[in-house]
Amino acid sequence: MQLNRRDFMKVTGAGIACLSLSQLGFDLKPLKAYAAELKIAGAKEVISVCPFCSVSCHIIAHVKDGQLVSTEGDPDYPINQGALCAKGAAMLSLTRSSHRVTKPLYRAPNSDKWEEKDWGWVIDRIARRVKESRDKNLQLTNTKGQTVNRLEHVFALGTSHMDNEECALTHQAMRALGVVHMDHQARI
Amino acid sequence: MPKAFLIDTSRCTACRGCQVACKEWHELPANKTKQWGSHQNPPDLNPFNYKLVRFSESLENGKIKWFFFPDQCRHCIDPPCKNEAEGYMDGAVIQDEKTGAVLFTDLTAKLAPEACEAVRAACPYDIPRWDEKSGLLTKCTMCFDRVSNGMLPACVKVCPTGTMNFGERAEMLELAEKRLAEAKKTYPNATLADADSVNTIFLLMDEPQKYHKHVVASVRTGLNRKQFLSSVFGPLRRPMQRAVRA
Repeated sequence: MQLNRRDFMKVTGAGIACLSLSQLGFDLKPLKAYAAELKIAGAKEVISVCPFCSVSCHIIAHVKDGQLVSTEGDPDYPINQGALCAKGAAMLSLTRSSHRVTKPLYRAPNSDKWEEKDWGWVIDRIARRVKESRDKNLQLTNTKGQTVNRLEHVFALGTSHMDNEECALTHQAMRALGVVHMDHQARI
Repeated sequence: MPKAFLIDTSRCTACRGCQVACKEWHELPANKTKQWGSHQNPPDLNPFNYKLVRFSESLENGKIKWFFFPDQCRHCIDPPCKNEAEGYMDGAVIQDEKTGAVLFTDLTAKLAPEACEAVRAACPYDIPRWDEKSGLLTKCTMCFDRVSNGMLPACVKVCPTGTMNFGERAEMLELAEKRLAEAKKTYPNATLADADSVNTIFLLMDEPQKYHKHVVASVRTGLNRKQFLSSVFGPLRRPMQRAVRA
């Protein structure tokens, strides 16, 4: 067994500490058990962004064996400085909750039930409905005869879960269709 | 050197970040709640909520005033729950000498339900809760695992307003005095709650009753009859029980 100086100091230090305390008759077992159980020990730290509002607090995601084990505010980020609100603090539950929707749900007109659908079906249907509405309702000129190419029958409601690039892409797609009513929804 | 919390309620906006961060760190399950007329939800501390922001409103000079109280274990310097529990069993409630943390161990599951109730009743702040299913007594752990590894408790780390503070007791007392002087300019009745006897020091803007029933200890000096008897006969209880059984 090879020990460098640092290891040697560690081992002797620990040995002396254990000896002296146990000699005094302290039972250290329960306290040790508590202290040893740090669930993020050895976890990889991944910087992430809270998806809820436009403040975009940074979060450290602790990943162990490919699994998310804990999340907390990033103290090095100047905006939130390690702090989070109740929503940002619930990032772990957000990923683990049994209520999380993991498949597209569809509710047919006048139906009171949600049906699970695959992505292909959903995207196809959205595309068809958008095209139908645009073909029928695109307004090429206003009352003065000026060209406007406006589609007032479709609106885009965003989500604060979208980052800057996703917002830009959505905005461009909507503008291309002639949509003028857009809301990013990052005011909360 | 013991550690201490300073909870400056004059800064609390009741965002409940602390309440959620606590639940997330300890990975406690959800409670089924319903609208009961207050933002205080769940309505009380329970085995799955060690931390709870209490909401209290009062009408002062025709204006509504909120008193937010992020309730948690006070980690008493001389914890009555520990004294009570030791009457039944050693090691169920322990106090870490280094940090001053009062901890309920897994051994609390071995306490009889009456003993758990007695430990609960011994707390002057009405903090411990009993989980019927696991038989464990539960409460705030001062994030002992985090603190022993040099980290801040989850509730303190998450707080965006500076309400929750944690550090060496001497430093926290110093900060408390500084914050109190500051708070008194706006709130002349501002006080520190039981600062001499607990390691979770609350800075209050007004009288304690305006926040919650158990903000300050119900018995502030000496022991009441029950505590007195418990402290006298507590150490004898186990040998006596053993003798009865034999």
